[in-house]
Amino acid sequence: MCASVKYNIRGPALIPRMKTKHRIYYITLFSIVLLGLIATGMFQFWPHSIESSSDWNVEKRSVRDVPVVRLPADSPIPERGDLSCRMHTCFDVYRCGFNPKNKIKVYIYSLKKYVDNSGVPVSNTISREYNELLTAISDSDYYTDDINRACLFVPSIDVLNQNTLRIKETAQALAQLSRWDRGTNHLLFNMLPGGPPDYNTALDVPRDRALLAGGGFSTWTYRQGYDVSIPVYSPLSAEVDLPDKGPGPRRYFLLSSQMAVHPEYREDLEALQAKHGESVLVLDKCTNLSEGVLSVRKRCREHQVYDYPQVLQEATFCVVLRGARLGQAVLSDVLRAGCVPVVIADSYILPFSEVLDWKRASVVVPEEKMSDVYGILQSIPQRQIEEMQRQARWFWEAYFQSIKAIALATLQIISDRIYPYAALSYEEWNDPPTVKWSSVSNPLFLPLIPPQSQGFTAIVLTYDRVESLFRVITEVSKVPSLSKLLVVWNNQNKNPPEDSLWPKIRVPLKVVRTAENKLSNRFFPYDEIETEAVLAIDDDIIMLTSDELQFGYEVWREFPDRLVGYPGRLHLWDHEMNKWKYESEWTNEVSMVLTGAAFYHKYFNYLYTYKMPGDIKNWVDAHMNCEDIAMNFLVANVTGKAVIKVTPRKKFKCPECTAIDGLSLDQTHMVERSECINKFASVFGTMPLKVVEHRADPVLYKDDFPEKLKSFPNIGSL
Amino acid sequence: MQSWRRKSLWLALSASWLLVLLRVFPLLRLAVPARPWAGAPQGWPRWLDAELLPRFSQPGELPEDDPQPPRGPRGGSCDWGSCFDVSKCRGGRLKVFVHPVAGPISDSHRGILASIESSRYHSISPDEACLLLRLEAPAGECSPVPPQWNGGRNHLVLSLHPAFCPQTFQLGQAMVAKAGPTVDTFRPGFDVALPLLPEAHPLRGGAPGQLGQHSPHPGVPLLALAEERGGWRTAGADSSACPWDGRCEQDRGPEQTHPGATLPNATFCLIPGHGPDALHFLQALQAGCIPVLLSPRWELPFSEVIDWTKAAIVADERLLFQVLAALQEMPPTRVLALRQQTQFLWDAYFSSVEKVIHTTLEIIQDRIFGASAHPSLLWNSPPGALLALPTFSTSPLDFPFYHLQRGSRPTGRFSALIWVGDPGQPPLKLIQAVAGSQHCAQILVLWSSEKPPPPRWPKTAVPLTVLAGQRKASDRFLPHTAISTDAILSLDAHSSLTTSEVDFAFVVWQSFPERMVGFLTWSHFWDEARGGWGYTAETANEFSMVLTSAAFYHRYYHTLFTHSLPEALRTLADGAPTCVDILMNFLVAAVTKLPPIKVPYGRQHLEARPPLTPGGPESQPPAQDCINQMAVEFGSMPLVSSRLRLDPVLFKDPVSVLRKKYRSLEKP
Repeated sequence: MCASVKYNIRGPALIPRMKTKHRIYYITLFSIVLLGLIATGMFQFWPHSIESSSDWNVEKRSVRDVPVVRLPADSPIPERGDLSCRMHTCFDVYRCGFNPKNKIKVYIYSLKKYVDNSGVPVSNTISREYNELLTAISDSDYYTDDINRACLFVPSIDVLNQNTLRIKETAQALAQLSRWDRGTNHLLFNMLPGGPPDYNTALDVPRDRALLAGGGFSTWTYRQGYDVSIPVYSPLSAEVDLPDKGPGPRRYFLLSSQMAVHPEYREDLEALQAKHGESVLVLDKCTNLSEGVLSVRKRCREHQVYDYPQVLQEATFCVVLRGARLGQAVLSDVLRAGCVPVVIADSYILPFSEVLDWKRASVVVPEEKMSDVYGILQSIPQRQIEEMQRQARWFWEAYFQSIKAIALATLQIISDRIYPYAALSYEEWNDPPTVKWSSVSNPLFLPLIPPQSQGFTAIVLTYDRVESLFRVITEVSKVPSLSKLLVVWNNQNKNPPEDSLWPKIRVPLKVVRTAENKLSNRFFPYDEIETEAVLAIDDDIIMLTSDELQFGYEVWREFPDRLVGYPGRLHLWDHEMNKWKYESEWTNEVSMVLTGAAFYHKYFNYLYTYKMPGDIKNWVDAHMNCEDIAMNFLVANVTGKAVIKVTPRKKFKCPECTAIDGLSLDQTHMVERSECINKFASVFGTMPLKVVEHRADPVLYKDDFPEKLKSFPNIGSL
Repeated sequence: MQSWRRKSLWLALSASWLLVLLRVFPLLRLAVPARPWAGAPQGWPRWLDAELLPRFSQPGELPEDDPQPPRGPRGGSCDWGSCFDVSKCRGGRLKVFVHPVAGPISDSHRGILASIESSRYHSISPDEACLLLRLEAPAGECSPVPPQWNGGRNHLVLSLHPAFCPQTFQLGQAMVAKAGPTVDTFRPGFDVALPLLPEAHPLRGGAPGQLGQHSPHPGVPLLALAEERGGWRTAGADSSACPWDGRCEQDRGPEQTHPGATLPNATFCLIPGHGPDALHFLQALQAGCIPVLLSPRWELPFSEVIDWTKAAIVADERLLFQVLAALQEMPPTRVLALRQQTQFLWDAYFSSVEKVIHTTLEIIQDRIFGASAHPSLLWNSPPGALLALPTFSTSPLDFPFYHLQRGSRPTGRFSALIWVGDPGQPPLKLIQAVAGSQHCAQILVLWSSEKPPPPRWPKTAVPLTVLAGQRKASDRFLPHTAISTDAILSLDAHSSLTTSEVDFAFVVWQSFPERMVGFLTWSHFWDEARGGWGYTAETANEFSMVLTSAAFYHRYYHTLFTHSLPEALRTLADGAPTCVDILMNFLVAAVTKLPPIKVPYGRQHLEARPPLTPGGPESQPPAQDCINQMAVEFGSMPLVSSRLRLDPVLFKDPVSVLRKKYRSLEKP
């Protein structure tokens, strides 16, 4: 609109000067400009859409086309591995300073084909497994393509199997990597170290300070806290489908499935079989298999042929003997079958032993005790065996089943060393998901009775009932262990009374004003709270006696990880409605206490404010109800423990108050509270509340004993 | 005119075309992802021929390697499999013989010897033992090679102090347990790393942890720095960016210097890794100050079994600024967990010389046990491995302590164990009352009277078994194999309980399986006049013991009582019958650090005093004495007082009796 007006103004001035023959010229010019613009637009637009349909991020190439690097015969060779290397001596952590997520950044060198002076290749360019491994790293959070920001460098030179490479030339190839620098911060993956005849337990390629993720370390070659011990990947993991069988008794007690076993060991095994008969099965290579049958997938005992690895699922324990190398791929197959590995390989460093607790999934037997192995295994109770079977399968699923799992676990271990404050815990590494799910780790697990001298902080949530508030303050201040009183003024429209009007009490009194009238303000972790014990109390709770409150505090000291309150409530399963129901009748059980007056640890304020699951906190604020039920859920969920109800108190209604709330009001209240329970149970995904049949009373409560000698004579009524 | 109009039409058309093009193209460009720049993330290439690549090992290559003969130990280097002869440990049990030391020995040395002798591992003969222990003298007096040295095989050279004299003999195949070994010489899984103990470390018991509360007090500074002279310097969060190198001397601000070896009062304690700073480490642990070790060159104590990531932070000193930033941002949940773990570890393994020695031996025993050693959970959560015996079970579910962590519950029934002493009257009424409980699984009668047990017992709903006792008071706490449930209701023949009391007490016990739940109570007190501990059965506002003549507890305590208490204590308890009660209460309190639980008992006023009460302090001096002797043996007073009783929810409330589940509890 605006443009056309401008044109109308400008147009008459421009056009009359034009001659007729120029008309065509102008039209052509405009067309050219127009076409040009369209073409540019198309140029910018079209090629993309073509590429985006395919994977234009990565060039499609063949491994055969990678650049060739010729290594001069005299190019430098790195020093041999430095056995004294530790993270603080050989690893340059300054490269890892950039860590927004407490995760190391890993760079992968691009793939090259190395040939020696005469053009003979140094090794296979890359194996399928190593390609998978590098792909897994590249797809992970660890990967960076910026060599300057990388903390760890992974060469693309494949050293997974020492047998496939030329040692000296491979070392030369490593040494000419652009950031080699004596191998600092370089990580090599090797699964099959050593070679005939002596089979070293670590990669023989000189590698100076480079970290080695190796598959067959012994205690003599493993640099504790520096190298990473990894499994030998079993190709059968991907080739064979072996569904989880689950723990339980199996046909064979002990099985040996390895083909190449030293004759001395085989003798021992045969002796075991002879002694224990059917329960021990020692398998060997099949000699007379027909053509076309894969010999790695079959095992034989005399003329009986067994399918491998399926046969492993028939055994409770499976022997994993040292072969030429300490690390054996059979370990992976055995774990997968849920068979408990019996590792007979002295000095072998089990895979990921830095973080995995192998005691839970395997039995390690010294080589010289091999003949006693049956007895050792039989002394293990059945329940523990089943636990180990479950654990073995879980280890395989989490850390053995794919090259990717192996690579990521290795990087996680190295990352955790550099950022120890963000490291995964023992439980995160070792507990199977079912255990993680059902277990509760109480945040206040230390049995500690806080000193009485600390006292408690009373937090009174108030809106505008000043008179009642002052009465509460006066009453609470009589409790000997009170150390501070905090009034949370939840009314934004009205100022709290002047200082001079407040009751004079013997402990500090602070008023906190809130920004919004929300119920969750009562559970906010105010800086003013200096004691661990918090008494949440409503501004109309004037019926509790000083003895009652003091006793409540002392009970809390014995149960500092629980909610300690007065009137108890119960949740019940309503079979007719098929949902939870809130119950305030005088029952024999309790599962909640009202927070109109309750003691609890101040840590739960932090949890309520910052760690409440789902939208419960906002939901409670919006509905102005059920904050106490939410707190009961929260505490029971993190501690796994029940509340403690103190003294006979059943309700918070003061005796002089008249019954204004009729039956109908009561009933809507009950419906709302029941809804809260159902809502919270669905958000928590479980019903965390615990039902108990006891309450806490003073030792001599209602005993036949002179009242004046009792510590808490005035415990109040219902 | 017409041409003018046409021209203007053309112009308008082309102008609007221009506008449209200019507007639309940028939008189209946004809709399509940008072309990769030269520097955009470029991952590992997806090779066209990835599926054709060769495998890293050919099928058949793996299993068909040349087998190798078994290897012996390599020269100079040892590990558990090659240098320790497990077959010497008969029955798979650790027995320790200590080489006698020639000449005079110091007090601390004698103390260590005594603590080994009182342990369950001690053996008096070197032939019977499978571990021979050589104690290094603290003051550098080097003793000659002991007689049965045998190249150091199955030997442990234990040195609590870093002064060490290897010159006098070759270590050979001996294991070394010493304080703060350097990472380079330490042989994991073979040597044992000990904590560096201060000179005056208590032999037994030891000071409790200093942590008064679970969470840090708001006013406490964030950091304390270990100083070279042995003290601590605290620093506020704002000045924490200054390391100890003194370069930021000027802006120290609120820091202060604590002279001497006081305990640090901070949330985190920074301990540099050079030099033997292990003393600082132990101080921090005791104070509940989370140790932040910066590249320690020494192995952390008992690192073989203790998961230090739960109690300390081992960081790289070169990333100090990142570490400090991470400490400041650490979520309260983690701080809380780390703090509590420091206290647990201090209390369980470090607070006394005895605990350090026993932990060392326990580690070696675990190696011998192999598959039936302590699971990691038992080492790393309260009450600790010294109090959770793997000989009882290796499954955490069998113990009373780990139900929460494993999301399980104790078994839902109990075994009643009735002890019948002289005059040997079968407790028929009691049996009926107990058998009436719906939770009762079995009744075991431990017949310890001179009179033979009656041939016939009343018919009960549950199986009744008579076991022959040996008339020793501590017999009742033997781990009888006949006990099939987690819960035991321990009873005396003359106890009198109602079914309802039993039912309620058992339901309470299920909530507190690690504690004792009893009916009759005693309380202990410090007797100023006599300068010792006393105890009383008088009705009082608090209590710290429950009588085992009627109490529920976990069957594990029978095993602990029999196998972990020193022989001397059990003999003492046999001497005076009340002492057995006290000893059991001591044991449970030492394990749980919590008071027992009292439940209502109807006949309180009728039987205010159980038949075994000590009366007054004068009437039975030996019993009063045994509480003091036990306190000495335990190294401290473990009993904790409680002021509450757990009653049924509607107990003695003025409501209809029909509402109440445990109404008979209230009958006088």
